[in-house]
Amino acid sequence: MKFSGNRALILGGSCELAVILAQCMIEAGLFPLLTYRSEKGLEYILKSLKTSQKEYSAFLLEFGNRDSMNSLFRQTDDHIDYMIDFVHGNFESLIASADVDRIYSYFAENVSFRAEIVKRVARIMMKNKRGRLIYISSSAAAMPNPGQGFYAAAKLASEAIYKNLGLELGEHGITTITLRPGYIDAGRGGRFIRLHTHEVFNKVPIKRALTKKEVAETILFYLSDSASGFNATEISMDGGLTAGK
Amino acid sequence: MNILKEITEILAEILDIENHNISPETYVIRELGAESIDLLELAVALNSGFKIDVNDDEIFLRKLRQYITEAEQQDNDILQYLTEKLPFLMQERLEEIMADIENGPTLKVKDLISYVEMQRNVD
Repeated sequence: MKFSGNRALILGGSCELAVILAQCMIEAGLFPLLTYRSEKGLEYILKSLKTSQKEYSAFLLEFGNRDSMNSLFRQTDDHIDYMIDFVHGNFESLIASADVDRIYSYFAENVSFRAEIVKRVARIMMKNKRGRLIYISSSAAAMPNPGQGFYAAAKLASEAIYKNLGLELGEHGITTITLRPGYIDAGRGGRFIRLHTHEVFNKVPIKRALTKKEVAETILFYLSDSASGFNATEISMDGGLTAGK
Repeated sequence: MNILKEITEILAEILDIENHNISPETYVIRELGAESIDLLELAVALNSGFKIDVNDDEIFLRKLRQYITEAEQQDNDILQYLTEKLPFLMQERLEEIMADIENGPTLKVKDLISYVEMQRNVD
């Protein structure tokens, strides 16, 4: 695969999928800039990428904290060719029983804060006249379960931000994609699958969960020059989960 | 660095026009036809070229009418209020703007220069 750019900011860089993506990027000659939100996250990155110490950087980013965002951008030297956004806080609650303060803070963190990051990265990319952003959404955005209303709403709002950016700046070489993975054997999804294996696989036409590696490789493909025709769109990667009733 | 020359070159490139059509008195939107996306490009180019922070709403006078309404509602002197809200514009320029506001977007190249000068002093 061929890549016009080199430096890739990975938001939520300490999740399992992000680290595997970083490994794929390093193998492909890209330079990942991973963000983490805690010492534990940093330790996980360091441990997972210990054989590639000088081939990536890691930065603290507390989602929702604007000082933390300013610090991140001071350190990235105005050079970001790609951004992959894995960050998303969890908020499971029935709409009618949700804590109101939590509703406000959740959308501030997961929509408004993200919008500011996207704005700032887009402006950096405009200076370089190129850029590619991939937002990792979820099949829950299209097909939420009860209790996932706020999660789905924040995902859909974030998707809209990315989509419009691709509409607005496509002619300036800045494009976007939203990837909606289904069940992945990683993180929260992995734990859910292990608890509800039969029920989950019954719903998925391919009768299995996605592997972390295949999702990471798919993201890498969508960053490549070969995929530059995809813009301002949502792509489902869910084994057919959301295709039928 | 000659700010007018730099801004003229940036505008000419973004809007694909000749440099000599641009002077400090040129209206950016009314005469040059700059659209939203052009103004975004301009903001990014000014940020990059002059190493200054650019607030798009401020530099492009987007809140001008809002500020006038606020001043009227609060029974404030409009010029005084605008001076506080748009500190890069001198009183004389604000008077010009008030006299011209009904004719369309008032932003001129000289306003961009004033903004850059102020931000360079701040930074």
